[in-house]
Amino acid sequence: MVDPNKKMEFFNKNTRNLIFYEGPFYIDLLTIFGNYLKFYTHDYPLAQKKLFKIYVELTQNVSNYSEEYILSKNENRRIGMGEMKLTDHQSQYYITTKNIVKLRDANILSQRCEIINSSSKEHLKELKRELRKSSPGEKFGARIGIVSAKLISNNNIDYNIIENDREYSIFKITAKINKNETY
Amino acid sequence: MKRIEFRRSPSNPYYPGVVFDADSGVCEISGESYMEEAYKFYYPLINWLKEFTEKENGKIILNIKLIYFNTSTTKCLLDMFEILKKYKNNGNEVEINWFYDKEDPDMIDEVKDFEKEAEIDIEVKEF
Repeated sequence: MVDPNKKMEFFNKNTRNLIFYEGPFYIDLLTIFGNYLKFYTHDYPLAQKKLFKIYVELTQNVSNYSEEYILSKNENRRIGMGEMKLTDHQSQYYITTKNIVKLRDANILSQRCEIINSSSKEHLKELKRELRKSSPGEKFGARIGIVSAKLISNNNIDYNIIENDREYSIFKITAKINKNETY
Repeated sequence: MKRIEFRRSPSNPYYPGVVFDADSGVCEISGESYMEEAYKFYYPLINWLKEFTEKENGKIILNIKLIYFNTSTTKCLLDMFEILKKYKNNGNEVEINWFYDKEDPDMIDEVKDFEKEAEIDIEVKEF
């Protein structure tokens, strides 16, 4: 029997988990979640567009760079594993990803996030152009996705390194998108 | 030259729709583009443009109607702009139009960035 008071508390909560996923970041699966994301956020069209762009960047970072991965049978390519969560807050949406990184990469990522958070919009645009130019192929490293997340959201990104063992850590990153964002 | 046509499909919406037509000189990329390994998809398009600009001397129009594109796609688009820039610098006529959704004003910033990086004029138009 549900306690009616508890039920009210549930419905009055200011935070709701809209999507949570843990496992391999297959593109087809990410597309399905992306459709849900668009559906859940259609009341805020500009926030919806920003959120989708950031969602793709962050989840493809996990897919491309997570140290925990599986190999796809058909194409023999690695598919990174991790966690993704979309949360609905009173005035913002939060998109969070978590994945395994090497301990030494965790520190580099941390420093890069620090720089990205303290950089101006113009500097970030310049950095994005430099990263694109300096990448010989289509692998840019995770940094360009994080730069994009900050540029698109206009908010600092939250990041956290959770020590796992001597060799690996868990890298957690959250981008916050304002619902009533105006241009 | 062979016409390239790729239709968008609801089952894999991360691939854009493509029409590259040498007879009219009009090329169009539309929809969303966030596939993995973007080069595999864009390589034939980049090669097509190379061939066109080497063999033909007519006007070429590139219409981009992308609602969303990932970082890997940006690199491929820049490669296309580079080819078109060379073609234009050789005295040929090139027109690049970027159509954007008025509900996505961030796209104008993106296009301005492309213009700056590729050093080529891109006309921004509303859908």
